[in-house]
Amino acid sequence: MKSIITLNVNGEVHEIAVNPWRTLVDVLREDLKLTGTKRACEQGACGVCTVIMDGKAILSCLALAVDCAGHSITTIESLGSSDGLHPLQQSFIDNGAVQCGFCTPGVIMTAKALLDENPNPDDTAIKEALAGTYCRCTGHIKTVEAVKKAVQAGREVK
Amino acid sequence: MPRSSNDYSVIGKRQPKLDGPLKTTGRSQFTDDIDLPGMLHGKIVRSPVARGKIISIDTTKAEGLTGVKAIVTHEDCPGLMVSPDRKILCSDRVNFIGDEVAAVAAVDEDTAAEAAELIRVEYEPLEAVFSIEETSAKGAPVIHEGYEKNIMDDYNIDFGNVEKAFAEADHVRVGECTFNPNHNCFAEHHVVIADYSLPGKLSIWTPNQSPLYIQKSMGSILGISESNVRVFNLNTGGAFSGRIGPRQHNFIAAILSKKASRPVKIRCAADEEFVVYPGGGYFKYIIKTGVMNDGTLKAMEATYLFDCGAYWNSSFNVLLRYKYHLIPQNYHMEAMRWKEKTVYTNNPPNMYPHGAAFLQLKLAQETELDIIAEEIGMDPLELKFKNAVAKGDTTLTNVHYTSCGLKESIKKVAKKSSWKKKFKKLPPFRGIGIGCGAMNSGGPDKSGALIKIGEDGKISLFIGLPDMGQGSHTAMAMIAAETLGIAVEDVEVVAGDTNAAPFDIGAFGQRGTFFTGNAVKLACLDARKQLAETAAKKLGVKTSLLVFRDGKVFYGEEPEKAVLFKDVVSQTLHSEDGKHIMGKGFYHTPTTSREPWVSTLAYSFGAQVAEVEVDPDTGIVTLLKVTHAHDVGRAINPLAIEGQIDGQVFSGMGQILSEECVMEKGKILNPTMLNYRHARSFEVPEMEYIIVETNDPYGPYGAKEVGEGPIVCTMAISNAVNNAIGNPVREFPITPERILQAIKAKGKK
Amino acid sequence: MRLPRFEYLRPSSLYECLELLEGSGHESRIMAGGTDFLVSLKQGVISPQKVISIRSVPELGSVSEDAEGNLQIGACANLSDLVKHSLVLKKLPALHDAISSVGSMHIRNMATIGGNLCLAPRCWYYNQSKQWRHAVEGCYRTGGKVCHAISGSKRCHAINSSDTAPMLIALGARVCLQKKDNKRWISLREFFRDDGRHHTVLEKGEMLTSVIIPCETGKDRSTFIKIQHRKGLDFAIGSIGASVKGNGRKKEISLIINSISSVPLFLAKAAETVMESGFNESAIGKAAEIARGETGAVTNLFTSAGYKRQIVEVLVKRALSSLKRK
Repeated sequence: MKSIITLNVNGEVHEIAVNPWRTLVDVLREDLKLTGTKRACEQGACGVCTVIMDGKAILSCLALAVDCAGHSITTIESLGSSDGLHPLQQSFIDNGAVQCGFCTPGVIMTAKALLDENPNPDDTAIKEALAGTYCRCTGHIKTVEAVKKAVQAGREVK
Repeated sequence: MPRSSNDYSVIGKRQPKLDGPLKTTGRSQFTDDIDLPGMLHGKIVRSPVARGKIISIDTTKAEGLTGVKAIVTHEDCPGLMVSPDRKILCSDRVNFIGDEVAAVAAVDEDTAAEAAELIRVEYEPLEAVFSIEETSAKGAPVIHEGYEKNIMDDYNIDFGNVEKAFAEADHVRVGECTFNPNHNCFAEHHVVIADYSLPGKLSIWTPNQSPLYIQKSMGSILGISESNVRVFNLNTGGAFSGRIGPRQHNFIAAILSKKASRPVKIRCAADEEFVVYPGGGYFKYIIKTGVMNDGTLKAMEATYLFDCGAYWNSSFNVLLRYKYHLIPQNYHMEAMRWKEKTVYTNNPPNMYPHGAAFLQLKLAQETELDIIAEEIGMDPLELKFKNAVAKGDTTLTNVHYTSCGLKESIKKVAKKSSWKKKFKKLPPFRGIGIGCGAMNSGGPDKSGALIKIGEDGKISLFIGLPDMGQGSHTAMAMIAAETLGIAVEDVEVVAGDTNAAPFDIGAFGQRGTFFTGNAVKLACLDARKQLAETAAKKLGVKTSLLVFRDGKVFYGEEPEKAVLFKDVVSQTLHSEDGKHIMGKGFYHTPTTSREPWVSTLAYSFGAQVAEVEVDPDTGIVTLLKVTHAHDVGRAINPLAIEGQIDGQVFSGMGQILSEECVMEKGKILNPTMLNYRHARSFEVPEMEYIIVETNDPYGPYGAKEVGEGPIVCTMAISNAVNNAIGNPVREFPITPERILQAIKAKGKK
Repeated sequence: MRLPRFEYLRPSSLYECLELLEGSGHESRIMAGGTDFLVSLKQGVISPQKVISIRSVPELGSVSEDAEGNLQIGACANLSDLVKHSLVLKKLPALHDAISSVGSMHIRNMATIGGNLCLAPRCWYYNQSKQWRHAVEGCYRTGGKVCHAISGSKRCHAINSSDTAPMLIALGARVCLQKKDNKRWISLREFFRDDGRHHTVLEKGEMLTSVIIPCETGKDRSTFIKIQHRKGLDFAIGSIGASVKGNGRKKEISLIINSISSVPLFLAKAAETVMESGFNESAIGKAAEIARGETGAVTNLFTSAGYKRQIVEVLVKRALSSLKRK
């Protein structure tokens, strides 16, 4: 039943054998040990499992791993390195948008997909993107704020 | 002379969370991220009937499935009681839909789930009851033997002469509020790993607010000496007063692990999450209020009815019984009465939502105060201000306030929100409301802290206080850094392992900053005293004249003659009598308690104003703005304080406006994050924060709680809606449909 | 929540897809974006032996304009792509609004137009985990003989919650249904059956492959409104797609409501009222009131029937007022 697929995750190509009924989030976490992508509602309502596929923020709990073969997947592990953090990560920290941290990777990946496509989103566009995420700790107040601040900082750099 | 925030080098600064880099990069470990060698995956078999007899449990088919390593039923844990009314696994009776009957551990989640479906349980359904009315009716079935009429708890207490005070009042009114069940909706669902594979030793990994409480209760229930239970508390994805004690799945994972001799992980699936965690249950409050014509509050009587569901952990009775007086009073009055009755039903067991249900009590009270203000022709804000407590006051319940910024909070919030310009002057269906609250900083307990200082001058701070996101570890690091005069980055907080942590009951009851904060300060003072001897010798001055600041130690009047902190540490270590600097601190409430509920010395106060717009056609509310003022004593970390206010406004607005477990015959009809309607990014209001500092004499650097104080002020939101529509909605959450009904009912009046 | 076992099929052409569909019959199910389908699989409400993933069927992803200016959209066109598509933005702003209102950005990034049109009707006694459903008697949807939403009912009352359906019906869209050896075009309105169980006219081996939307001409105009508890990710309490085609006496108004019953509802009498009396306030008010009565036996799922009728009235009033302004 298992098929061998190649998954391109964070620029690295993995050849793995998976059953077709396994979701992308389970394969990322269980097979590739990329546990930065979390799982919670597993029904598409909380956004904690958000990864970027071909430039779009998607829910890895609602994607079959086999369907993702051949696509380019980016997870939270690709952001930030020993040289420093991604501006969004820094903005989340500096603006108090991180509390328990469980939803944080999903929210940051959502924001990254948004900014990659539109570096100057207005408040509505930010809220629209983040509406697919869930964060009870910050009540979505400082997460939205952190994205706004990252946008402003991005403008100033230019 | 108390110092102001400006005098501190660390305290009062907007300090980003120290674990921010770990959390934003996905590197922080949560329980589900742990994969132990040989670990199995567990799945629980739950009852589909609300009340019934277990006729038989057949595990044969499941046992035959390849990959199944252990199956447990009540026979594997005979006589083990989680609470007086509850076994680890049901043996003869089930009492709610979701009750745990059996469990299986297998090599992976898929196999475990498949095996669980192969376990056949035969039930004989029995008559079940699902409401306070049904369970109290004549002839209702008794759910637990020994609890006649299904009354779990019945408790009444008076303060002052209640009858006399009401008789003297110019104006008395009675009103009721009901609250439907809700849920905390933790981002991180319930999960546990138990390793009970060696005799007499149990290790537990699970998100929680109190590793010590889990250690003690799992030890005593499973018959293991508590020190042989090691609890690893990694990051916790949301707690909100809902993750204090161990839950059934913790015990079940342990007995599965024992039977399989391998570690076992149980991760609750989305559909189980709503029954595993008992959210806020059904409450009813009947509030009687008496005032004088000038607005002076004379007396209040609260009748509290609570459906605790099928089981109740009696160690939480203190919360039931003392709710009215444990929660500090924010208004003066002559007399008050508390009547509490809690009953069992066959609903899922209920506990408390974010805010430990203090919001509901205060909300019921304040709804009445607003109505009464209207009836006597007074501005509710003025009425609340008039009766507000102040520094030096002792309440009717014998709680003494050594610091109190309630009046200042009301004044500031009124000014900032332009209350006077808006109250009763807004266009139709726009409304403004005020809510006030007070909250205790912890209960009658204690905390320890230990530090060790490395030769490079950096310290390791050992505490037992978890950080579930509120920023407690950062706050503790700030207190330590301030006390030792070093940078906050030089403090590494070590926590999350009961083997390494000093005594600390955990992060709940708004106790962290006050109790553990005091312990941390004491531990640092202890270390500082040891270091001072070396520094004093070197500088040739008395130890009492030394100042520790900016990584240096110096004589107060000659800062240029400073020695580096790290050199003092190193020189102490390598001195003739060679000392490795370790500091210890222990803080307990120095109260010579007059009443059992007078549990802490510090109380916080808050006032909140909310502005809303109601769509009169649909009843949908837009929460426009929330202005919150909170007396935190001393702001250790303003950034984190704002975060606490944000989260509580979010949860408060949810409990008030939209969050509801829709129940039908013991079933939750909307147990998903899609159908359980918490707010999202578009619904949250613009926020305005006012931090009031009153410098509490007992708080570390004057600090008090902000952990659940703000949520008890969020009735500002429902008061604003009531103000907008002119007819208070009495059933919570006040959903669009209920609001529309109230608008229509008003039109008919 | 884990998925059950199934055989996975990934056709690379429409022909292959239709062949697989015909060959496997009722054992197989089509999966497009998967956002609703996989949840249903996880909950065990459907359990096909074979899943045909049509994401990479090239013919199904296209968006094009024909010579008359009609817009043709392949069933697998992604909702986010459509929201940004210049033809949709320029020619059909109301459709743009309807698509934008589906789910969250994340959902739209995965979901497809065909999937949204075929969205299975929902019910909170049915869209639950297997474990949850064990606690209730089997209903019409699960092979039983009761409806938990309306006790005593002789049929299933699950609710159709597609947001694009009412708008596309109002725009006069037609859909292409294909089998291996057959292809038919029907109006979208005829695609739906008033049945919570079998809500479309799709036959065995047949699938929806594309939608064609006639271009708006002259003074044609349309609008979409969705009322939801929570913006950004929620099914509608009620949604409406409304359009005016033609002018003066030949003017034709369509009002289609969804998310209140098993099928998108065509509010003919309400529309007639305005066609007869014109877009004045009293006619709009009257039409909205009439609409309440046109909803038939509304179920009390998710919100009470009374509240739903109120929402219908509000939607009709707002949609007509919006068309008046346009």
